[in-house]
Amino acid sequence: MRYTTVCLIVVLTGFTAAAARLMYAQFDAGQYSQNNSGAIAQPASPAEADGASYSVTAYPLYPPELAPGAGREAVQSYCATCHSTRYITMQPPLPPETWAAEVDKMIKVMGQPIPEDVQPVIIKYLQAHYTPENRKR
Amino acid sequence: MNEHRRLSRRGLLQSIATAAGVAATAGFGAVPNLLPPRAQVSGDEKSLPTFTGPAPNPYWNSVGPVVQYPQKFPLVLLTDRPIQLETPRHYFETAFTPNGAFYVRWHLDEIPNAVDLSVWRLSVEGSVERPLKLSMSDLTSKFKPVSVAAVNQCSGNSRSRLQPRVPGGQWGDGAMGNAKWTGASLRELLDSAKIKADALAVQFQGLDKGKGPQGHGSYEFLKSLDLKDSVLDDSIIAYAMNDEPLPMLNGFPVRLVVPGYFATYWVKSLSWIRVLDKTDENFWMKTAYRVPDTPRGNTNPEDVKGGKVRTVPITRMPVRSFIVTPNGESKLIAQLPVIIRGIAFSGYGSVNKMELSVDNGKSWASAQLGEDHGPYSFRTWSMAWTPPHPGRYVLAARATDGKGNVQPDEGVWNPGGYLWNRIEREQVVVGRAS
Repeated sequence: MRYTTVCLIVVLTGFTAAAARLMYAQFDAGQYSQNNSGAIAQPASPAEADGASYSVTAYPLYPPELAPGAGREAVQSYCATCHSTRYITMQPPLPPETWAAEVDKMIKVMGQPIPEDVQPVIIKYLQAHYTPENRKR
Repeated sequence: MNEHRRLSRRGLLQSIATAAGVAATAGFGAVPNLLPPRAQVSGDEKSLPTFTGPAPNPYWNSVGPVVQYPQKFPLVLLTDRPIQLETPRHYFETAFTPNGAFYVRWHLDEIPNAVDLSVWRLSVEGSVERPLKLSMSDLTSKFKPVSVAAVNQCSGNSRSRLQPRVPGGQWGDGAMGNAKWTGASLRELLDSAKIKADALAVQFQGLDKGKGPQGHGSYEFLKSLDLKDSVLDDSIIAYAMNDEPLPMLNGFPVRLVVPGYFATYWVKSLSWIRVLDKTDENFWMKTAYRVPDTPRGNTNPEDVKGGKVRTVPITRMPVRSFIVTPNGESKLIAQLPVIIRGIAFSGYGSVNKMELSVDNGKSWASAQLGEDHGPYSFRTWSMAWTPPHPGRYVLAARATDGKGNVQPDEGVWNPGGYLWNRIEREQVVVGRAS
């Protein structure tokens, strides 16, 4: 029974992956580069003159400096799946309850699977460095 | 005093140089010390803070560093993944925003770096008699090209003004732009696909994907319009922006243009048009981009907490106007004229009256309106002003649109940080002529 379920999941996953490949054959996406030292300001000429594919370079990343402290690694690993941690540093200082609500939204609404024992670590980190009382950078 | 200021300027330049050196030698990692946006600080030579709040953002733009992205001019960085970039103030001196300067806002991080037009097709599917798969050549040759000048403004433009501050993209005023968009009429396209009688709405999806789980807003971005909405008649599938192909970051190969509506509906790299026979219940319609069903979309934190606020999807942009110059970066000269310039627009139709105040809104005079590029375009305006005496003056700008809506002098608050359209002000300092 268990074996059948596993097989079914494997087959379904295979199908989904194949379908996704087909669906997205028309474009390349999600290429980001750690090199933001001016590669775009001095671009190379496109190689093919007669193709119908149009491209740009990888998008530069500008990772922010998160405040040092307990929980920073948890934030970097769980909060950066879908978005850069600039989503944190961009915010104004927010009250502790707003940070708790934001993390809750990421789990319940956005579907990010953060283990239950890690959730309070992340919330505490944000509350320790990004509220009106304690934000420094 | 002057000597002190010169010294402090030199000190600032030195600290920027040092910071740049540190950033360069640090290599990969944090880049906190990029140059701040131009001309944001009124007569203050300190470098910008890295964040603003809990008070309102006092600057015209957001406070992010200025960064370089492909096909774009240097823009103000809000976030790097997904990408959100703001247009610096000085680009609004003209009615049309250059493509390179046009702001960028994506919701999901897997956005196109390349699109192969030999494979790419725009699908029209769902409740239609004749599903379509259209190539770029089909769009340009089988449909009559239609052009419209229209403002694209992020729903959260100016979010950093709200009190109390709300989480979200902390835009200054530069999450907007105006372009001449050219493409196929959405209505013509839908007609050629023959919508079925039971159809209710039309849903749009671009090439962007997210890393979240399926069925969540973090997985895909979907927006819908009601088939009864007359805005469909004005909407176009644009393949040209200011007579050129769209930059990749602004939605190449085609994007939906919904004149008068906030940018949330202007789906970028549009590739699927789905006619639905039921209401769209996806996150981006049912949960996000909703505003209180109250005058101006205004409410307060207590009513939100108490669950008292009924919401509706955001739609049209309220009337706004902006002072672009003078921007406060340098002193004006008493008894010498200066031209106050700016732009105005409304999602409810043409701005036909523009008033300016040089006494913080106590008295108003009519400004001269620039060329009319159509009801949904930026309209430039200007007024010559000769400051009579040295001192501080607060300039204010107030627009009235064709429906008689006048910009109010009160802010707005809602949890999404949408619909800000308060009268804008600029403080200027005037010095002696001799």
